[in-house]
Amino acid sequence: NFNFFPFLLFSPPHPQEKADPQKTAFLLRKAWTLYSVTPLYGFRRARLRDYARLLGAFIAAEKQKGLAVEVGVELDIKVALSSLPDIRGSELDQAALLVQLSSRSRASSRNSEDKPVWSGWFCSVFGDDLFENVPEHFTCLPLFLSHGAESYTSLVGSWFQKTFDCCFRRLAISPLNLSWMVAMWAGCKLDRATSAVELVFSVPRLAQPLDISYAIHPEDAQALWDTVQKTPGEITQEEVDIFMDCLYAHFHRHFKIHLSAAKLVKVSTAVASAHCDGIVKILNSQYLPGVLMLLTELAISQIQ
Amino acid sequence: MDETVAEYIRRTVLKIPRDEIKMMLQEWGFLSEAQLQTLNFHQIKDNISQEVVQLCEENSADIKQAAALDIIYNHIYQNKRMWSVYQMKKSGEELEYFDITDFKKKFKRRLRSALKNVTITFKEYEDNAIWIRVAWGTPHKKPNQYKPSYVVYHSQTPYVFISSSVLKSTLPLLCQALIVASNYHDIREMELRSHSLNSLKDIVFKRYSQNFQTDTPKPLQGGNVEPENADIRIVEENKSEKERIHRLNQEVFGSGPQPKLEFAQYRLETMFKSDPKMDVLDKKEPFRCLVKFSSPHLLESLKSLAPAGMADAPLSPLLTCIPHKARNYFKIREKKSLYPESFVSP
Repeated sequence: NFNFFPFLLFSPPHPQEKADPQKTAFLLRKAWTLYSVTPLYGFRRARLRDYARLLGAFIAAEKQKGLAVEVGVELDIKVALSSLPDIRGSELDQAALLVQLSSRSRASSRNSEDKPVWSGWFCSVFGDDLFENVPEHFTCLPLFLSHGAESYTSLVGSWFQKTFDCCFRRLAISPLNLSWMVAMWAGCKLDRATSAVELVFSVPRLAQPLDISYAIHPEDAQALWDTVQKTPGEITQEEVDIFMDCLYAHFHRHFKIHLSAAKLVKVSTAVASAHCDGIVKILNSQYLPGVLMLLTELAISQIQ
Repeated sequence: MDETVAEYIRRTVLKIPRDEIKMMLQEWGFLSEAQLQTLNFHQIKDNISQEVVQLCEENSADIKQAAALDIIYNHIYQNKRMWSVYQMKKSGEELEYFDITDFKKKFKRRLRSALKNVTITFKEYEDNAIWIRVAWGTPHKKPNQYKPSYVVYHSQTPYVFISSSVLKSTLPLLCQALIVASNYHDIREMELRSHSLNSLKDIVFKRYSQNFQTDTPKPLQGGNVEPENADIRIVEENKSEKERIHRLNQEVFGSGPQPKLEFAQYRLETMFKSDPKMDVLDKKEPFRCLVKFSSPHLLESLKSLAPAGMADAPLSPLLTCIPHKARNYFKIREKKSLYPESFVSP
């Protein structure tokens, strides 16, 4: 799936603009559900406040129609749209777009703080190469990440689809891509590798389903990857296969079970974790661009 | 009636599924049959529990009765809790006559000498199981009824099953009281944990069917008519392989139902060994891993792996030893011997 791998993957983020640590901090340590999004037609950065107003009105109207978002609670939903200029790979990428829904209970006083209820953001990190011949008026932000109730995701998604004639699709992550992720992230050099490199497998079709968690000490996983990976900054399918085969062989030696025949459903490292249902958690800000680049590529291959 | 007792009874009744409330109150026996008749069990649980509390008020229930109801609930819903197994050791060989009254007296005395504020409740069941519930307080605070410990002790055995309170510091006290009361001199925690109390009992009391060879192999369902051509040989081999796997599985797991465990955990500190051609990791240090297997019924699941083609038969002894070693937590280190493929588990 990844036939090339730019050398920028493991180097620190390109110092174009000073990254706002507060903005990017809120992206970390949250479970984001992934979608691919086709290019948005007629989207204009200057109109963010208008869009926020329109989306807010849309949500209020849907609630009036009886689409119960939260039963029994009277909530006014406030919408905010903003750009995240630091979240992009190169100048050719569009800046990321953040959508935040917050609520203020009608019962509480005017001065009470808004409670964040849902957030979603569109981004593109080095997605430009694959969107070369995009016609005018189209904005490419192929990766969408959401956090919060599914009902809000559905509302926001519907509005964007109607307004910008785009299409959202859940992004699943195959075992092949998960094994790439675990191999790459296990190799990342971190100041303190505090969490294990964990692979979670599922054997569902038995009479009694079985889940297997295989967690390796991060130093040992990194040492293994270092002997497998031959060219710094470049990763091949063969190297990922060897890394996985080593782990499978070590497991088989002890338990006589063929892990390769089980389904890899989740991988977890100190850099990030990813689940086959298309849910990721990014844990490390240094490697945020690298993780987003990988996810952007996955989204693009789903669109094409 | 004390407010806290009323609230505790109300919350306990709320936990019970609606169609089981009547049965549990009957087993409790604190409310008379006439009082139970006045209860409307067809309304929402909130209302039922309020009515029960009112009746308890009439009978002046105290914490002892409330605790008794809680034991009944936890005995029926024992699988909601996580149980650990402990084994007690006697210094001598003499089998002493077990006196339940003596046991209770010594247990209460030992606990109360260390901690003034405790609620201790006993209930005996038919299978020689003594259930003990302990709610823990401090010298200055009344016992917290919502975080009790539960102990199940079969007096004819050295085994105790404990569902600990989340208040960790209470465990040593509990263990001490147990050995003093039962005339043992030591107690140790086994590496065996599960939600299924009965399965833990099956394992330590050896009540499950252990490995034995079946004389008559189960006939395999054939279905297809074998075509009379050169393919017959291939089909035969597969069939004999299936039979081989089945036979090995029987030898190792036995043919009866397996005790029900939900997980097994292995801390591996063995060396990483690879094909020298692969030119990978060749450290002298162990390759540290933590492997955890989980399933609604782990042993049945493992038993089905080889027939499903997911594992070799026979399955690794690290997995098949779980019932007879009576443990599901392991630490595996490399055995220093002529046979580097063997493992030792301390």
